[in-house]
Amino acid sequence: MSKPFFTVYCLIIYAFLLAPIAVVVIASFNAGAFLTFPPQGLSFRWYLVFFNNEVFMRAIRTSLWIATLTMVISGIIGTMAAMFYVTHAGKLKETVRVAMLAPLLLPEVLTAISLLFFVYSVGLGTQNLVGMIVGHVLITLPFVFINVSASMESYDPAWSLAAQSLGAGRFTRFRRIMLPLIKPGVIGGCLFAFIISFDVFTISFMLKGVGMSTLPIQLFDYLRTNFTPEAAAVSTCSIVLTMAVVVISEKVLGLRIHRF
Amino acid sequence: MTEVSIEKLTKDYGQGPAVNSISIRIAEGEFISLLGPSGCGKTTTLKMIAGFEDATEGAIRFDGRDVVHVPVEKRDIGMVFQNYALFPHMTVEKNLAFGLEMRKLPKGEIRTRIAKVLDMVQLTGYSERYPRQLSGGQQQRVALARALVIEPKILLLDEPLANLDAKLREEMRVFIRDLQRRVGITTVYVTHDQAEAMTMSDRVVVMFGGRIAQIGTPSDIYERPANLEVAEFVGQVNIIRGKVGNRVVSTAFGDVPVSGDFADGAELMLALRPEAVELLPINSGSTGAPAKVLSSYYSGSLVDYRLELATGAVVNVQTFPRTRFADGEQVLVHAPSDRFWPLGTVA
Repeated sequence: MSKPFFTVYCLIIYAFLLAPIAVVVIASFNAGAFLTFPPQGLSFRWYLVFFNNEVFMRAIRTSLWIATLTMVISGIIGTMAAMFYVTHAGKLKETVRVAMLAPLLLPEVLTAISLLFFVYSVGLGTQNLVGMIVGHVLITLPFVFINVSASMESYDPAWSLAAQSLGAGRFTRFRRIMLPLIKPGVIGGCLFAFIISFDVFTISFMLKGVGMSTLPIQLFDYLRTNFTPEAAAVSTCSIVLTMAVVVISEKVLGLRIHRF
Repeated sequence: MTEVSIEKLTKDYGQGPAVNSISIRIAEGEFISLLGPSGCGKTTTLKMIAGFEDATEGAIRFDGRDVVHVPVEKRDIGMVFQNYALFPHMTVEKNLAFGLEMRKLPKGEIRTRIAKVLDMVQLTGYSERYPRQLSGGQQQRVALARALVIEPKILLLDEPLANLDAKLREEMRVFIRDLQRRVGITTVYVTHDQAEAMTMSDRVVVMFGGRIAQIGTPSDIYERPANLEVAEFVGQVNIIRGKVGNRVVSTAFGDVPVSGDFADGAELMLALRPEAVELLPINSGSTGAPAKVLSSYYSGSLVDYRLELATGAVVNVQTFPRTRFADGEQVLVHAPSDRFWPLGTVA
């Protein structure tokens, strides 16, 4: 492929991927009363409406809270699973991998329904966040697992042995040698977990308690009865938030990721 | 300095012993090599001394204290790995400091020790470099320094020169040996390279199939091999056969007196190293067996000949290139009778 042609080709792909997002962002600055494109005049009117909408604000807080918890829990379990998978699984390696990736292969709605049955049959119900968190951890786990095990593959087990010969116990070996060296994978996996959890609809919809709402659910709910640019403002904020997480982590931790 | 004593050490992974009841006494400050082909159990033995593998049976004593149940991190060993295993996210200084921090030494002492060891391995000024910014030989020296700076009881090296190119490998042999002598640390060195084992060690332990075939000084191993396997593994060797009669073996080279109890009429194998044989012009009037030059390989300082004796046996001979013989030329071969070493009777 000639170079100019290739450039144009890439531009088209990007345009195709990003155009819907651009449309939403532009539509959010609409001054008119209805969600239309192109917008009728520009204003921050709908952002003010959104920021003063207590229902949406509560939904955002719930979503951030769930996403953070999910990221931490999924990060820990996924990292441990990846460590086991790479260093100790032996003959079970393929089985462990398939089992860990299973949530990706199953339709999300099936996972959600079975979890719903499960939380009620063990008496947890949906009035607390436990069921919801379990669901989110379940579907984000494969992403942590994939990222961490990928960075584990380039981890030389001799590094741990060397640390051990120098007098480091199990915990020190993990904290001072393995963790810093697999950090890019761990951070990448956690970011995935956070963003996916923030974004997920089906699982949250099934496992939410009465009166509880995450941002995607609230948005869905809102669009059933309203068609104002407020929805676009909510979406834009959601996009900005997700991107902020990625950019900030890259800035704060990225320097270290590219250290070697 | 530490004396290491290995007693009836056995490792069995479940498919027969990988290391079969071996015993070695390593004196204080001694440099011992474990030499053998891959799968002979030398690395498993090293891992058991280090503590990375549990011994199925037997004892490992450091100065009389059995350490079999002491975990690696408490065993106070210094280990150099085949691929160096330097921590890639740490500078040279941090790599060296790691073991000292584990021992909770004060900062000042850590700094002094690092400066001293860097000087010892001739890497002063490299403390801020990352391992990837160093050449193979420099990484090797950092790995050595990291193992030595903690002043361990015993230094263990697992084929540390295998990844270096030939010239550097020879330099490092001398470097490691000199350093070991200066520090005076008891050292166990695993290698499959007989030249490495010979040039560096006080004593060599030759292992085959999980057992010790011979323990001895490099000259014991080379000149007085315990059996055919050892003779063939360490350097080149000609196996000369002959019948025993009256404490003398009659060979193509003439009669060779042998000491030892061999029954008359038994067929004996004698080891004869290529450089022990002299080549003489056919008309020199000396004693010797006539032979024909099949081929010769000139390597600068030495020439290797393949010769065919009158009996049809092929003999390899190594000489200085002062006198050259052409392919196909008739020559006389002569070997002093004390250069033959009996390896036992033909089975």
